[in-house]
Amino acid sequence: MKSGALTLLAVFASSLLAPAQDQVTVLKGATILSGKGPAIENGVLVISSGKIQSVGDSQTSLPQGAKIIDCSGLTMTPGLVDAGTMLGLDAMNANEQGGEITPQMKVIDALDPADPRFDQIRRHGVTTVQVNPGNRNVIGGLGAVIKTSGNTVGEMLLLDESGMRLTMGAEPSVGNRAIRGGIPDNMYYRRPTTRMGVIWAARKAFYDAIDYREQKTIADGDDQSLGVDPGMEVLVRVLDRKVTVHTTAHAEQDIRTALRLAAEFGYETLLEEATDAWLVAKEIKAAGVKVLISAPSGNGDLRYSTTDGADPRLSTLMVLAEAEVPFAIHTGSAMGSMHLIHEAMFAIRNGLTREQALAAVTTVPAEILGVADRVGSLAPGLDADFILWRGDPFAPTTTAEAVYINGQETEK
Amino acid sequence: MSFSPTEKSMQYPIPSALSLLTAVLLVSPGQAQEQVAVKAGKVITISGGEIENAVILIENGKIKSVGSDTDVPWNARVIDASDKVVMPTYVLAHASAGMSGDNENLANVPYISVADGIDPSSGFFAECLRNGVGSIHIIPGNRTLIGGTGMVVRPVGKTVEDMAIRTKSGLKLSLDPQNGSRMAQIRKMRRALQDYEDYRKDLNRQKKEWEAEKAAGANKDEEFPVETDSTKQPVLDLLDGKVTGYLYVPSAAELGEVARLKNERKLDLVLILGPATYKGVDDIKALDLPVILTSNLEYMEQDPETGEQSITCPAEVFSKAGIDFALSISDASSGSARYPWWQMATAMRYGMDRSSALRAMTLEPAKILGIDSECGSIEAGKVANLQILTGDPLDATTWVDMVLLEGEVVYERSKDRRLQHLFGEGQDKD
Repeated sequence: MKSGALTLLAVFASSLLAPAQDQVTVLKGATILSGKGPAIENGVLVISSGKIQSVGDSQTSLPQGAKIIDCSGLTMTPGLVDAGTMLGLDAMNANEQGGEITPQMKVIDALDPADPRFDQIRRHGVTTVQVNPGNRNVIGGLGAVIKTSGNTVGEMLLLDESGMRLTMGAEPSVGNRAIRGGIPDNMYYRRPTTRMGVIWAARKAFYDAIDYREQKTIADGDDQSLGVDPGMEVLVRVLDRKVTVHTTAHAEQDIRTALRLAAEFGYETLLEEATDAWLVAKEIKAAGVKVLISAPSGNGDLRYSTTDGADPRLSTLMVLAEAEVPFAIHTGSAMGSMHLIHEAMFAIRNGLTREQALAAVTTVPAEILGVADRVGSLAPGLDADFILWRGDPFAPTTTAEAVYINGQETEK
Repeated sequence: MSFSPTEKSMQYPIPSALSLLTAVLLVSPGQAQEQVAVKAGKVITISGGEIENAVILIENGKIKSVGSDTDVPWNARVIDASDKVVMPTYVLAHASAGMSGDNENLANVPYISVADGIDPSSGFFAECLRNGVGSIHIIPGNRTLIGGTGMVVRPVGKTVEDMAIRTKSGLKLSLDPQNGSRMAQIRKMRRALQDYEDYRKDLNRQKKEWEAEKAAGANKDEEFPVETDSTKQPVLDLLDGKVTGYLYVPSAAELGEVARLKNERKLDLVLILGPATYKGVDDIKALDLPVILTSNLEYMEQDPETGEQSITCPAEVFSKAGIDFALSISDASSGSARYPWWQMATAMRYGMDRSSALRAMTLEPAKILGIDSECGSIEAGKVANLQILTGDPLDATTWVDMVLLEGEVVYERSKDRRLQHLFGEGQDKD
């Protein structure tokens, strides 16, 4: 999933970030929705050094000399996890125009920690996000998982190679033109120009990677002339199932193609923006693939055309829940339309249970991104990332009273 | 600001003019005294608090009584909503939707009317019903100078005539800079109004001269031969105070001009305030004009020096200043601002109180439109425009289960084909 050295760096950076704060803090009186198990009325959360020490009911023994914060009347949830966003990247920087296969691009190299949108979503309870490159390339590059608080990417970082972006459908080909003489002076003079071309570009990249891996194996490190191709290195890690592919596929046929391509090359994938997943739920379940569904609030829009001709339904998440496909709600390309908590609220409106909806924005995305040992629920040893809501978190009139990241209350 | 019901009298369509679809649901005119009793778990009256376990008695499309101690007449048709919440349908005081094209590409077009642009089959109207909206003021959009005449409709009917509640509801005026220049827009507004004023003066002068000649013995048995230019009539009516101007104000910078239009031109105005006007809240209060807020209730600004972003809710600012206003929904086909409940909830997230938020979607817009004697609250004597909800209007899991307009059922969720489609085959939405 990740390169060890960089993860070490990330851990090191976050331990630097957490202030020398051995002070034990107790937050008591809140209704705690921990993401694991039933709601705890009048609960107690004990934190120190940016980590959760314990979670329990009012009988929990309070450590001596702890600072006590009264949270009665408030509801506590884990910090929300948005498993797919393009925050921190402006539109110009989300897609590398040098080619349509750019697996070696890394969003952390371009990420702007000062993007004010991080503050906005954090104020509404999102404490961890995956940031992905854009969808204009067939293979866009490597995403990262970061927290929404921090002055540098290093401070924010949880995972620097959280997945490789692959896009199905028409998006990478829309507007592209074949070069017929003349000088190609913009990114649209390039392949692919059709849906088929998009898939072929992806397939060719994986064949090249297989070839590259074989050459490397034959040379066994002796042949210096082979050199290192960073893009191929990433694709080889994908083929070796060390990096998960995050496949964007809106329409039914693209979802099926995404599953087929993953089976063909044996890589691990998850589906993003899988609008039509309700049509393919059984196949998705059979393939053991997890799904990110973007912005349920938009599924009732009065639209006449949708991305890639997908057919959004209000029932999508219920179909997935019934088919026991693990799913998370993310903002994706519908970013900015709604805050994640309100997307979860709309999912409940459309029929999901409160527990399912909370899981879809906390525990499940944390598991999908491979950071469940750090965030996504309230349990001993996890980062002290949590939200105090004034009222029911899923009521449209509720706001976040306080947002804690690494045990620190963040700026409002 | 006072509304004279005589000037703006209601023009409810007579049943025979209604579409086939509604006609089957309506009482035929001969069958008098049809009574409907809605048994409600809770009634949110808007004007008289919330009543648990109440009965709303409807006779001939009007509310006869509402209360918890009402006996249900033996011959009344009963609508059992005893596990549900009943409230008045929402009223939209300003919407520029349900038409193909909301603004003419010329800026000064007082002679056009939404009556010619409304598409009764537009998804906007179906969506209105689905979300509990019962009365809509359709008026040309804000990208104009003098944009044309609006009308108040109900979201039911096959023709514009079927839908009409009140025609010639008001004239759209806009101070929104059309080519990027505030100066130019204000200048054009003054120039245009002055031109109409001059035209009227000239017409009056001609008429005076003609009558003087007539008095002197000329023009025997003749009428004044100059006809008023009908394309100018809406503005002449505006200048005479016979028509209300629905004036869009994009920012606080235009408020000075609004005061001049009110005080010097003596126009009868309703303000449609863009979110940036919140900075002029004191001036707006001093203007003492009816206010409609546009749908952007979370106004984002960036400090030009520090780059820091902030969000302001104009509804909260105006509410705190004691200004009454109507909330709007978005005209767009996507986004949650299309939902009245979401708009009220957003205002409440920023601090507006519940009863004011509910009023701002019902009684306030009805007052602004001058139809509050007919709708906007559940009171004896008003038209029975009701929505039956599965729960509290501000709970996200609540759906509109049924809508009654003039006492007749015009929407049932169980028969909503679009919702059934969106919930997929075999999916049970309950």
